[in-house]
Amino acid sequence: MDTAVSLTDITKRFDDVVANDEVDMQVERGTVHALLGENGAGKTTLMNVLYGLYRPTAGEVYVDGDRAEFDSPQDAIAAGVGMIHQHFMLVEPMTVRENIALGWEPVTHGGLKTDDARIDTEVRELSERYGLGLAGDLDTPVEQLSMGARQRVEVLKALYRGADVFIFDEPTAVLTPQEVEELFDIFSQLTAQDKTIIFITHKLGEALTAADGITVLRDGERVGTVDAAGTTREQLAELMVGREVLLDVDRAARGASGDDTRLSVSDLAVTDDRGEPAVQGVDISVRGGEIVGIAGVDGNGQEPLVEAVTGVRDADAGTVRFDGEAVTGLSRRERLDRGLAHVPGDRQEQALVMEFDLVQNAVLGSQHRPPFGRRGRIDWGAAREHAEAVIEEYDVRPPNPDLPARSLSGGNQQKFVVGRELSREPDVVVAAHPTRGVDIGSKEFIHERLLAMREQGAAVLVVSASLDEVVQLSDRIAVMYEGSFVDVVPGDAATEEQLGLLMAGEQPDEPVPTGAGR
Amino acid sequence: MSRALPEGLRRTLRRFAGLSAVERVLVSGAAVVVALLVGAVMLLGSGYVASCREPALFLAGTSFCFDPVAVYAAMYQGAFGTPVNQALTLQRMTLLIFTGLAFAIPYRAGLFNIGAQGQFVLAALATTVSLLALGPLVSGPVATAVLVPVGLLAGAVVGGLYGLLPGVLKTRYGTNEVISTLLLNFIATGVAVVIVKRAFNNPEIQGTVTRSIPEAATLQPWLFPPGTRFSVPVLAATLLLVGGFWWLLNRTTLGYDIRVLGRQQAAAVFGGVDDDRVTVLSMVIAGAVAGLGGGLYVMMVVGRWQVGLPALGFDGIAVSVLAGNNPVGLVPAGLLFGALQSGGLAINFQLGIPRELVDVLRGLVILLVATPELFRIVGRRLQRQGRLRPAGGESG
Repeated sequence: MDTAVSLTDITKRFDDVVANDEVDMQVERGTVHALLGENGAGKTTLMNVLYGLYRPTAGEVYVDGDRAEFDSPQDAIAAGVGMIHQHFMLVEPMTVRENIALGWEPVTHGGLKTDDARIDTEVRELSERYGLGLAGDLDTPVEQLSMGARQRVEVLKALYRGADVFIFDEPTAVLTPQEVEELFDIFSQLTAQDKTIIFITHKLGEALTAADGITVLRDGERVGTVDAAGTTREQLAELMVGREVLLDVDRAARGASGDDTRLSVSDLAVTDDRGEPAVQGVDISVRGGEIVGIAGVDGNGQEPLVEAVTGVRDADAGTVRFDGEAVTGLSRRERLDRGLAHVPGDRQEQALVMEFDLVQNAVLGSQHRPPFGRRGRIDWGAAREHAEAVIEEYDVRPPNPDLPARSLSGGNQQKFVVGRELSREPDVVVAAHPTRGVDIGSKEFIHERLLAMREQGAAVLVVSASLDEVVQLSDRIAVMYEGSFVDVVPGDAATEEQLGLLMAGEQPDEPVPTGAGR
Repeated sequence: MSRALPEGLRRTLRRFAGLSAVERVLVSGAAVVVALLVGAVMLLGSGYVASCREPALFLAGTSFCFDPVAVYAAMYQGAFGTPVNQALTLQRMTLLIFTGLAFAIPYRAGLFNIGAQGQFVLAALATTVSLLALGPLVSGPVATAVLVPVGLLAGAVVGGLYGLLPGVLKTRYGTNEVISTLLLNFIATGVAVVIVKRAFNNPEIQGTVTRSIPEAATLQPWLFPPGTRFSVPVLAATLLLVGGFWWLLNRTTLGYDIRVLGRQQAAAVFGGVDDDRVTVLSMVIAGAVAGLGGGLYVMMVVGRWQVGLPALGFDGIAVSVLAGNNPVGLVPAGLLFGALQSGGLAINFQLGIPRELVDVLRGLVILLVATPELFRIVGRRLQRQGRLRPAGGESG
């Protein structure tokens, strides 16, 4: 067997954040390799390096034993590397044929006409050879296809461009269980004909089922490479999560929380942007001085839940209460006025106006009330002082309040947002991925601040795709899967392996002790 | 306070010198210059094609009917040469600032108000009708004090209501405001013509024209010769209004809400901005401002409503684009467009140059301003050749 892809000592830095730290990875030709890790572990960054979207800060990429220096995906495609992104890169109103040939059309009549007949022959042949079953759909607009079929169009598109190595980014995220099985069949068809597959995932079961080899990343570093055969889920979960990090947070004994419920959610149902039910029948209550963590793989309804609690999105049914008062019918501004702090999952879309400087961003959400807003006017002096205070306390770099938010790195944007939100002196804190993209030191500091909020008697709801974070912070943990809570357990009762399995929608072999779950 | 002032001043200066603002001024200035140069070429070209008895220019043995230098000189004279010409320029500038504001403010909230023309036309009619109705009831020195505010108020209210309509259509039913405001222009003109024909037509004049508004309600020239249709106090009030809108956008919660909504809708929702309210409100404000312009057009310029009002509402869009949709920028942009209009009239009857050529010049200015990338590319190339020192760090 020869090596199809070899990454040696790949390091990728974004300013002061290290996304990949001397990562090594070898993939044999004709095999399926899983790249496993939590959100933010650096999986996608590593694959973007292989696909030519990023240039590595250090390290070398070899494809088929040749040193590859890709400046763009075009170079990668030319070298036989194709990537199927999580969000498909298809033109939805255009037909399957048009999408596959787009940009690579064979032409006749001196370039005036695409050679549809030739496209058809080639595409049909490829579809048949790899069992993709698209031969009858060439004239169908992509928007009429299921997600699974669209993915197959992407595969066919890569094949048409001559790909030998396929990178799949979270390929099962949008698929139904049946479609997942079909996808794995396609993996077999491809490898049977000497194609090589790398797929990014954070689902243990998938890695074990579909892959031959598994490389595990954590915090940008490779923590291990194992054979799928002979490895257990528990071993993988342990590698992926890294239990020694557990001891990092120095937290007061649990049970310090008061008796008063400050945030309660009952029977909540929320629809997402596509009109699909995203949250169903969720109940949770958070006492003052308590942190409740919501663990789960991204896209299992955490975002709509947070948005409905904080008033960014309307709930379809159910009630949200702050300090016993129903706020479901209140506007976002009214909820903010009742002592809500909200760190959203998407800071660049929601939490910051990218073109505004930090002074102007410092008042977002408080622009209408003292100390910033008085009688309809905004006191920019107070805003500047506030921006400077947040920058100082949260070590936002560069420490210049006149810079537009756009010019800060993601981690520094996040620090600024967390700082602004927690400085509201909130009673209810809802934080989605509070440390996404920030460096280790700032991560600790943000964790300390969240624990301080808890000490001050706020009810804190933390959503994170990182198990570490949830386990470190939470007094209780709710595990969310497909829009509902699978289980609510005391923070110290569950092992991370068990939680990891719950997150993946699988029941652990040993039952998790259920505690004060409600 | 004494310590804070220099700091504040320094900050203001720093912001004023901010790259984007400077860039915008440079781009606008360059656009005007390039438009004049391209316009000169077009003048030569059309002068070469046209036939005339006395060619104005001989170059390399070829005769041209128009001499660009003479044309631009005549334009300048026509715009600024005499007090009468200056008055016309300033009058157009004043009105263009109003219709420019009517585009700029919704634009900052992320809305395209193409409906200033309709708001202007209906408001002009409202002003006329209210003054015709109220005129006979008041007389003497109080008449002006009553009629002027009533006339302006009537224009602002009707203009505001006509802005409310597309605002509500958008927030309630999701109607795209570009389409609704554009079409409402035609409706406004049609409705106004019908109303005037049925109820307010002046029987002594042929055509769709109302009777003239009372003398007491017309805004008299001051510092300018009698008969000119421009009033200095109106311009002063307009400049105050511009300052007021700058203050509104930059110093108030509503202005902040407008700007956040225009920049990033999701961030506005996150920040507790009621986007429906801000959308409707900015459309109403825009309509009211366009309406004030319509009222002023009646009270300062024509003294009645007549069919075929000038397309100031549409020109306002161009003025606002040239101004970077910044209220303060409307003043120089309005002056330029006012001068192009009055100068265009002058070269038309002095040199016999078709006024359409002036429209071509205006079109060129807008086209070039709307193409800032062109100037950036040129700037970057100059920079690479080492002829320009890089201005600050270039961000990727």
